[in-house]
Amino acid sequence: MSMPALSSHDASEITSADAEAQAGFAAAARLAAWRRRLLPLAAVIALLVLWELGVMIFKIRPFIAPAPTAVAMTLYGKLGMLLGNLLPTAIEAVAGFLIGNSAAILLATTFVYQRTAEEALFPIAVMFHTIPVMAYAPILVLLLGNGLEAKVAIAALICFFPTLVNMTRGLRSVSSQQMELMRILSATPSEIFFKLRLKSSLPYLFSALKIASATSVIGAIVGEWIGATTGIGALIIQATYNFDSPLLYATIVVGSAFSAAFFAVISWLERYFLKWNVAQTA
Amino acid sequence: MSIMSQTTVLDRTPVRDESLAVRLQDVTVRFPTERGVVTALERVSLTIPSGGFLTLLGPSGCGKSTLLRVVSDLIPATSGQVEVLGTTAAAARARRDIGFVFQDASLLAWRTALENVQLPLEVGGRSKRGGARDARELLALVGLTGWENAYPHELSGGMRQRVAIARALINDPKLLLMDEPFGALDEIKRDRLNEELLRVWEETGATILFVTHSIYEAAFLGQQVMLMAARPGRVREIVPVDLPSPRRVALRETPQFIALAAHLRTVLEAC
Repeated sequence: MSMPALSSHDASEITSADAEAQAGFAAAARLAAWRRRLLPLAAVIALLVLWELGVMIFKIRPFIAPAPTAVAMTLYGKLGMLLGNLLPTAIEAVAGFLIGNSAAILLATTFVYQRTAEEALFPIAVMFHTIPVMAYAPILVLLLGNGLEAKVAIAALICFFPTLVNMTRGLRSVSSQQMELMRILSATPSEIFFKLRLKSSLPYLFSALKIASATSVIGAIVGEWIGATTGIGALIIQATYNFDSPLLYATIVVGSAFSAAFFAVISWLERYFLKWNVAQTA
Repeated sequence: MSIMSQTTVLDRTPVRDESLAVRLQDVTVRFPTERGVVTALERVSLTIPSGGFLTLLGPSGCGKSTLLRVVSDLIPATSGQVEVLGTTAAAARARRDIGFVFQDASLLAWRTALENVQLPLEVGGRSKRGGARDARELLALVGLTGWENAYPHELSGGMRQRVAIARALINDPKLLLMDEPFGALDEIKRDRLNEELLRVWEETGATILFVTHSIYEAAFLGQQVMLMAARPGRVREIVPVDLPSPRRVALRETPQFIALAAHLRTVLEAC
């Protein structure tokens, strides 16, 4: 933490033994940081090597389980085609993410100001949430056709509920003393909303957005399973039917790499906007 | 010693007295609850002279916080008269003449110390007055020079409460209401902040109404201590405090202070 030193005279009292202990402590902290990064990486490499060896030793046929090297070869050889199929999936996921979360934020705001709306609509939202994606996906494809719209709608719906619940709770996470403070200051309703409620809700919103960044990709892929000629979902189905396991695995790698990147972007935004949040800075 | 003699002399004439910062006459506050109507305050009368320092002392549930909220127009009085700075509580609040310091500092976590102090200047635009104080100067006044850009989570509990005091002072209020502001602090910090509060009080010339459940704090800070009894919340006694000024923490070891504290304790225990 970069704090102005209040007791700078203490610094002169630090003896060389203290400095040594301090250096030792810093070294231990650096080592711990490297361990946190390197251990998972080592575990992943070990698993891949075991997998490769297992495929070789037990002579497993490629269409049942391809060796990691075979997957890597496909990834390299068909990267253009894979990325070409990632593009529609990414568009659907991001569009669904934006639409679903915007709708959830708007509805949560309505809930906070109109209790009646919450009482009337929240049970319906819960009911919808209990329907599995796989069940309502075909309905949306029937309703919206075979194009982008149905997939966007599925991705939006899958994002919607967690954000609605979190955002409603976030907007209400204002303490009664903070509300009293705003009243003493004669704050207008819009000042209370933008300067107090919205800011208080951001940590809740971002934890929902992080969930949504992963689920929106799932929504888009599920939508493509039902009926699509391009996209990660369509490619998964084709590769499975053709017993092209290396392609199937490579497709999954591309899909999850995109999910991880999406998640990383949201996490970065969270750190940027929530610098003040204790949980983030600690 | 009792308030009763004072109020009978003072009232009957509903003249608005500018030399009084706060005047409550027979103020009663009732709330409907699940277990029936609760009387939070019953016929409470009190006056605070302009520039005075009144501490409110009493057991929990005696309506101390309710009283502060009636004076600051957060809760309406069910009956009785409320006069704040020569006008109604609502008008005094709208004029930005009232500063409030809460039990927890209630800082906005996403604002730095300086930005928290400046919050009152950014909201309630139309009611803003000209005479706002400089936020950096106020932070210096409460001993937080060098911490302007620290976020609340980087500050200790005592420092957060100092920021809250600076925030309450930004509009240069004539009346400062404090609701157990140091209740969550350890004794040493509390002592230090008590001394500093007296310094701030002398420097700003504001009237202070201070709620506490600490006998020592009430006696140390107040020019008068108002003792309250619970269920229903009512005034028990108003005790004038004749202690030399400026007051330092060592004052608490003097026989005069010990006798005063003993008297307050006796009255409280009889509540």
